[in-house]
Amino acid sequence: MANTNTETDEPTDADSDGDRWDPIRVSGRWTFHLKAHVTVLLIVVVSEFIGTQTYPVGPGQVVILPMLYAVVFGMLLGYRVLGAYIDELRSVVPKEVSEISSPLIVVALMPLGVKYGTLVAPNFYDIIGAGPAFLLQELGNLGTIFLALPLALLLGLKREAIGSAVSIAREPTLGIITDLYGPDSPEGIGVLGTYLTGTFLGTLFFGILGGLAPITGLHPRAIAMACGMGSGSMMTACAGSLATAVSSVPEDEILAFAATSNLLTGLTGVYVVLFVGVPLINKLYGVLEPIIGRN
Amino acid sequence: MDRTDFVTNALAMLVVVGVITLIGNTVGYDAGIVESIPGIVLIIAIGIVSLYLAREIPLELPSFAYAIFIAMVLALPFSPTQEVFLRYTDRISFLATATPILAYAGLSVSLQMDRLKQIGWKLVVVAVFVFFGTFFGSAIIAQTVLSFQGII
Repeated sequence: MANTNTETDEPTDADSDGDRWDPIRVSGRWTFHLKAHVTVLLIVVVSEFIGTQTYPVGPGQVVILPMLYAVVFGMLLGYRVLGAYIDELRSVVPKEVSEISSPLIVVALMPLGVKYGTLVAPNFYDIIGAGPAFLLQELGNLGTIFLALPLALLLGLKREAIGSAVSIAREPTLGIITDLYGPDSPEGIGVLGTYLTGTFLGTLFFGILGGLAPITGLHPRAIAMACGMGSGSMMTACAGSLATAVSSVPEDEILAFAATSNLLTGLTGVYVVLFVGVPLINKLYGVLEPIIGRN
Repeated sequence: MDRTDFVTNALAMLVVVGVITLIGNTVGYDAGIVESIPGIVLIIAIGIVSLYLAREIPLELPSFAYAIFIAMVLALPFSPTQEVFLRYTDRISFLATATPILAYAGLSVSLQMDRLKQIGWKLVVVAVFVFFGTFFGSAIIAQTVLSFQGII
């Protein structure tokens, strides 16, 4: 699998080393580490101090969790956002802080993983009971192909549509498509588009969607399963907002269902994309492109 | 980075994340720092094992999955460790563990600003539809199967 060496939500290259982890090396880089972690500490303290806010929107709720403030504050402070205009800020939060932060996402996911484990286990028997739904809803991830591919073709995209619409494109998909077609191919550009959009907007998007989705009348348990789409932070924003917005299902159960679904996506996602998603979207592209493709 | 280097540096980073989490847990969820220490020590221990396993085992599995799995095994109803393990980890709020991840994620996003600008708005629009498609595709199938089973 290609070594993506980019912002990673979860590591997918079990045998990768060197580049991706290098920024966590502390020796000789104390100042940069201090700047990075103190900045994060301040973001966390401010975000937690503001706390969870809920705003009723029609019959649903927009839930703003502390983690959503944290991602926005982090983006704003970055050296290419406000730092690009404010020199003083860029000296406090330089490029090195962003480089250190990238592998730290994976490290910081460990406490969350443990908490999810402690939520899954007590709901073990419920989860076994819902086993068939868990396994089949994995195929729902292919729903993206039927919805997004026609849209991509209507927008005038060509082979870029393959990469962009094949899946929600977290690291495993990015690796597969890059491996199959090459990073500079149209397919590679397409998958990068979905990957980066998820990286920038995924948490905010799913954080808001998780609180609003009950409006559709879907059961919170079904929505919780849908939250586990393959990224730890997107799932957490989605399930956290959902749990805050609904009272008919206990919070722990919603989080446990989301975590289990996410765990299964981690186990099966690569194979579903490789053996089902890629052949399916290529076939569908062959059928649809002559009909609705634009020149 | 060789194995020893990786383990020592990763452990240092886990301790940093642990301290930030403890402080966030106190600010946001009024938990005492001292009584939360045993829980965070357990979390750090599982974290280092998970990071190590993901690096050494040649499966395409994220370390996050190992962390969920190990904690789950320790907390299962028939595990002798369940009571002690849950008692300590319960003091760390679930949401408190998520905030530091997103702070790091937000900061690291700057690295990819240029690439996002090249991608173009059409791919961003498609991506948003991909999000909707994945989410509602899964939710509708789950809804159908769960009601067929009589669970909901």
